[in-house]
Amino acid sequence: MLRKVNNRLLLILLFGVILFSSVVFALQLPKWFPFQTKDALKEWEEKVFKGRVLYSVEVKNTEGYLSAYSDSTASGIFYRLTFSPAAKPMVSWKWKVIKFPDKKTVEDSSNGWIEKDDYAARFYVIFPGFLFSQMKCLEYVWARDLREGTVMSSPYFDAIKIIVVESGKKKKGKWVFEERNIYQDYKKVFGRPPGRIGGIAIMTDTDNTLSVAEAHYDEIRVGYKK
Amino acid sequence: MEERRRRKFVDIPFQRKLLIFIFVSAMIPAVIVAICLYYLIFNLLAQQMVIPEAIAYNLIPVARKVTVIIFISLPVTLLIIWIIAVEMSHKIAGPLFRLERELDRRISGEDSSYITVRKKDELKSLVEKINQLLDKIKKGR
Repeated sequence: MLRKVNNRLLLILLFGVILFSSVVFALQLPKWFPFQTKDALKEWEEKVFKGRVLYSVEVKNTEGYLSAYSDSTASGIFYRLTFSPAAKPMVSWKWKVIKFPDKKTVEDSSNGWIEKDDYAARFYVIFPGFLFSQMKCLEYVWARDLREGTVMSSPYFDAIKIIVVESGKKKKGKWVFEERNIYQDYKKVFGRPPGRIGGIAIMTDTDNTLSVAEAHYDEIRVGYKK
Repeated sequence: MEERRRRKFVDIPFQRKLLIFIFVSAMIPAVIVAICLYYLIFNLLAQQMVIPEAIAYNLIPVARKVTVIIFISLPVTLLIIWIIAVEMSHKIAGPLFRLERELDRRISGEDSSYITVRKKDELKSLVEKINQLLDKIKKGR
């Protein structure tokens, strides 16, 4: 009898903790990253894939942005946050490409497109699964030579879907605003509604093309309704 | 010289129960530990790596190799555990079966000598006590 009561109490406690953490995260939404102070990257984690990309916050007066400079490297910065995108599905950000990775070095070779998998700017929305192999990811990229609206699987893993949201050099050097409904995007590319989000990430990489790329990011807003 | 038992299954229902018990007792913790290690190691590493490409590039090929190794080694592991379980169950069920047969022979009067067991058999002390009891009964007559 006592054991039954204890088990029930434990279940209620567990449910309460889950509910409480969900409410806390929900109350924190939308999460906004204006990069207006030098220490704005303090709450982000750096993850090195192949060499370190230089991520820094540049502040002039009260305005700031995140700068990413990659020289034959690939590393990203990641922010952990958990919420269900069903109720607040919108994310937005501003980005500016200063220099695209040089894909000429690999274009004429017989290499596969894994060697060309470098982008001046990437914005990730990550959906972790129970097992790491069940992870899903939406990866919004600014590609120099892919058509806008292109959706494809990453050469590394099928569950990473690359969505080209900006294309070409036309807007190079200009701030461009992006806004996406991640719930709809996920449903469109994976064919079913998404689970909880595990975090967002940013990456500028040139590890495959062994060239140089530079991009700026700003005004990241996550988890709001339109 | 002691004769080795040729039959590995003596008293089928009893030994079968014992065999299954030993086999399952060894298998369940082994499987739980393997699953926990697999899940914990790869999931914790994935949580650390975070960047999906890094996970896909570094972790997934390793996980695939580990999965293949597990699937190849699983039947071998099961076979080894099964052989050990058969041996262990036989060491317990064998002497019991023999003891029962020997006692039957003494009850029917076919034999009146001491019961002997093999050196490595379990229940040796029990057999010694039965021999003492037989001895006492003999003297009492």
